[in-house]
Amino acid sequence: MTAIPSAERALRRGGILMTVGLVLVAGVYVRALAFTPEEATQGLAQKIFYIHAPSAWVAFLACGIVGVCSLLYLFLKEPRLDLLAAASAEVGTVFLTTVLVTGPIWGKTIWGAWWTWDARLTLTLFLWFVCLGYLVLRGAVDEPGRRARYSAVLGILGALLVPFIHVSVLLFRTLHPQPVVLQTSRPQLPNSMLVTLLLSFAVFTLFFVGLLVRRYAWARLAEARAEREADDADASR
Amino acid sequence: MPMPPANGRFMVAAYVAAAVIYLGYAAWLYWRTRRH
Repeated sequence: MTAIPSAERALRRGGILMTVGLVLVAGVYVRALAFTPEEATQGLAQKIFYIHAPSAWVAFLACGIVGVCSLLYLFLKEPRLDLLAAASAEVGTVFLTTVLVTGPIWGKTIWGAWWTWDARLTLTLFLWFVCLGYLVLRGAVDEPGRRARYSAVLGILGALLVPFIHVSVLLFRTLHPQPVVLQTSRPQLPNSMLVTLLLSFAVFTLFFVGLLVRRYAWARLAEARAEREADDADASR
Repeated sequence: MPMPPANGRFMVAAYVAAAVIYLGYAAWLYWRTRRH
């Protein structure tokens, strides 16, 4: 039961980090909207980039964590890895939802269409379905060992989609723009825009870490409580 | 080339939508985890 004080501390720290992250996200909004120049061809709509791209980065990071934890769980059978994967999947789904909401709004202004069955958009939608499936699966299986094993397999399959989504704009003819920062040559952005974008990446990552820590600590406390209740029930028989 | 006037409205819509999703989830997570 030594895990409980550390989980309670993590719950509090996660809450603080989450709040600081939210305040900093508000700061990114102010910088992006008021202190970053308007792009010449897309106008104000280009500013959607400063929330769309960092949300996508965090969603893919979250899916990567799910994949790594799931793979390790299958070898080590350590329940904390399963809890971390589940926490990361839930928080990642929120960020992926933002990607799928802000993307079509941007697409409508630039392409003239809310949606197109382009490789990157379609694969991202499939990843969102896998994330939803993962969360539904966890809710549907009661036995913890079986739930962790089934969801680990689905978590690995979902994480495998992430590299395909990243290279989809290079492999296929797509409407979606190619990477502007993660590329071998110098980023194709003026400095003022690049600073806003990098700041946004850092802040969204911090906000994600806060949410993840809080969600994971809560899962550990819930598990410890369930174990305690099961022990109490056994003792009273 | 002048920008279409709708550009600003779409930008605001995207920023508001993202804020609603993030604030909504953070509030829900906090509410869910405040008593454990």
